[in-house]
Amino acid sequence: MSSDTRPKYLNLFKIKLPIAGIISIFHRLTGLLLFIAIPVSLYLLQLSVKDVHSFTTVTDLMLSPLTRFFILLILWSFVHHLITGMRFLFIDLEFFLDKNASRYSAWGVVVIEAIIMAIIIKGLFL
Amino acid sequence: MSMVALEGLRPWVLQRLSAVYLVVYIIYALIYWLFFQTVTFANWHGWISQDHNQVLLGLFYLAVLIHAWIGIRDILLDYIKPFLLRLLLLFGVAVFLIGSGFWLIKILIVVNA
Repeated sequence: MSSDTRPKYLNLFKIKLPIAGIISIFHRLTGLLLFIAIPVSLYLLQLSVKDVHSFTTVTDLMLSPLTRFFILLILWSFVHHLITGMRFLFIDLEFFLDKNASRYSAWGVVVIEAIIMAIIIKGLFL
Repeated sequence: MSMVALEGLRPWVLQRLSAVYLVVYIIYALIYWLFFQTVTFANWHGWISQDHNQVLLGLFYLAVLIHAWIGIRDILLDYIKPFLLRLLLLFGVAVFLIGSGFWLIKILIVVNA
């Protein structure tokens, strides 16, 4: 019987998730990171409007090698969440519904994201 | 868990509406700061202090808080099954977000003081 060969449990390492599934899971993960970043953004906003000295502290923080990883992580989270979110809005409007359109639009998201991140990294650090 | 506040079409619509506002505001701010203004303290402080930008930024964070509430709520409802723990975490998230909202109000008031 073919039904005997069906998996009896969900082994996450045996599931080959399509690209649309991968970017969707990262939409959720980056959303969680951005949630944690809300008070950080408020703290930086508060500092940035206080006086010139505090403003410089914030801009220096953006460029410091120590905080660079976290700044990039948050910026990437933001870009990924935004671009995948816009894809979900298109899906709500019934675009990208069939298998190929879903796959191509998911890869499109990855490409657009890579371009935006390249521009951000070039603009901030190079 | 079948509380009316935790299900239905309304959060789905709110999630999309807040998302659209966030995208529009980000495009507005990006275009302004990338093409029409240089990033200095005076320019930044002046921009934030303008009445219409205070309103738009206030709405931006309101959209962020609504969007975050629905998103985190969905995550907790998906993964946290024990009733009491779920309730506790939802409560914690709500306090966290409402507190963030009051913090922003304070920042906006101080900017203009």
